[in-house]
Amino acid sequence: MELSLSARDAEGYLILDVAGEIDVYTAPQLRERLIALVEGGARHVIVNLDRVEFLDSTGLGVLVGALKRLRGVGGELFLACGQERLLKIFRITGLDRVFTMFPSVEAATAGGQGGSGTGTPAPDADGGADPAASAG
Amino acid sequence: MNAPDIAPMSATRNTTGIWPRTAFGPDVPARRSAPPRERLRVLLIEDDAGDAFLVSELLAEADAPVDLRTATSMADAAPHLSEVDCVLLDLDLPDASGLDGLRQLLASTTGVAVCVLTGLADEPLGIAAVAEGAQDYLIKGRVDGVLLARAVRYAVERRRAEDSARRLREAELRAAEASRLERGLLPQPLIATAAVSLHTFYRPGRKGVLGGDFYDAIETGPGQLSLLVGDVSGHGVEEAALGVELRAAWRALTLAGVAGEQQLAALDRVLISARRSEEIFATVAAVEVDLTGTGRATVRLCGHPAPLLITDDRVAPVDAEPRLMLGVLPGVPRPAHGVELPERNWAVLIYTDGLIEGRVPDDPDGRLGIDGLTELVHAYRRRGGPLDGLPDWLVGQAEERNGGPLADDVAMLLLTKGSGR
Repeated sequence: MELSLSARDAEGYLILDVAGEIDVYTAPQLRERLIALVEGGARHVIVNLDRVEFLDSTGLGVLVGALKRLRGVGGELFLACGQERLLKIFRITGLDRVFTMFPSVEAATAGGQGGSGTGTPAPDADGGADPAASAG
Repeated sequence: MNAPDIAPMSATRNTTGIWPRTAFGPDVPARRSAPPRERLRVLLIEDDAGDAFLVSELLAEADAPVDLRTATSMADAAPHLSEVDCVLLDLDLPDASGLDGLRQLLASTTGVAVCVLTGLADEPLGIAAVAEGAQDYLIKGRVDGVLLARAVRYAVERRRAEDSARRLREAELRAAEASRLERGLLPQPLIATAAVSLHTFYRPGRKGVLGGDFYDAIETGPGQLSLLVGDVSGHGVEEAALGVELRAAWRALTLAGVAGEQQLAALDRVLISARRSEEIFATVAAVEVDLTGTGRATVRLCGHPAPLLITDDRVAPVDAEPRLMLGVLPGVPRPAHGVELPERNWAVLIYTDGLIEGRVPDDPDGRLGIDGLTELVHAYRRRGGPLDGLPDWLVGQAEERNGGPLADDVAMLLLTKGSGR
């Protein structure tokens, strides 16, 4: 299955709509696109996972890489995802406490600026530290 | 013209790196010998029109099955190099003299046989050319049509044989590497107790690529077992090597008595210091089992699916809280989850996500998932199959639903006590 990626601007955010399966074969496309967006100046990026049908550990790695990259330049990555089967993956991997997650793009644009939306966990020992600081 | 003293030289190559991996283009069958009357595509690189004419006449005279094309310089030849089986190379060209032309050719072509043409006084140059990688040399003016045609064919055959031998060596090296890594990822468990049975399982992913799944198990003391199943994200030799590092570090830490959160923190550091990219992570399920008394397990999940606890009347994932995978935030706390084990009959199945990521056409989620796996184990229990056959059966069922081999590799540890083992 193919991966389809399209970027758009909305309310000060760069929204990347992702559709299809993010796996070991398609993850490189997502990585390149996210890197290009950051290099092109995007700082507040929402990755919309609503039409993603599958996400494996390689795909998670790309998203974490993008998060670190954005935080490294003073930006932020938000995830929009209302699908239970994907949310389950974020819970199992513990990454639901690392990403700032929203149930939809609308919720993300309404509450994401400044990185303290409703989906953001309160900083605590589990999720409050900055993954960008873990480099190396 | 006769020159019976030209015999094919045995080509020796002291370098392999200059030959890229792919040998012939897709239209040229590279893995078999050329049939006797296969037409060979030959490119003559020769700036002397008289010599070029002579070569074409010789080949025509011998009725050689050769399609000849002529270029007068290296630059002129460059666009055609990918379309030929053999190059006849003059060593005195306007844009390359001596062995320079040969070196350019060897650096820019893949799978093309090369015969160099030298003057009568330059035979040592021909020998030097063979030492550098040409398949053969011919001395101008001392070759007839039949010999020339035969030399071309020999050169092509020799080149193909060399490529086959190189591919075979590479395949052998890859197999040896994979087997070495596999031993590192999937060691012999250090468990001697007869109170429980441990069954191990590993299946590489589709295309036989070794993934980064690993497991290990150690009896740390009387009635005390430590088990680990893990998965490095991505597939490839580097990921497998990283899996070996993590697995070996876990064994060393466990034998040294470092357990629990300290151990996971150490594995986090090992991963972060050893990985080549910040996008590489690992998930692990670490299970400590205390067989003394009533029996108790301690489970720590780092981004890993929860092991299944199988008892006489129940199959369910262990209710441990998921904690962050390794390699994201060092120092994250990962408290343990305790599980009381039944006194007599139980089994714990620790697995990697390759098992649950297989496709299931009729499922709303499209994948087997944890629920689907749990149901499968139920079904197996109802059939009354022996527990030691469970891992094989599960993979068989997952593959059947997937319509073929699973994409990712699968590792499992199944620890059983009491009936069914």
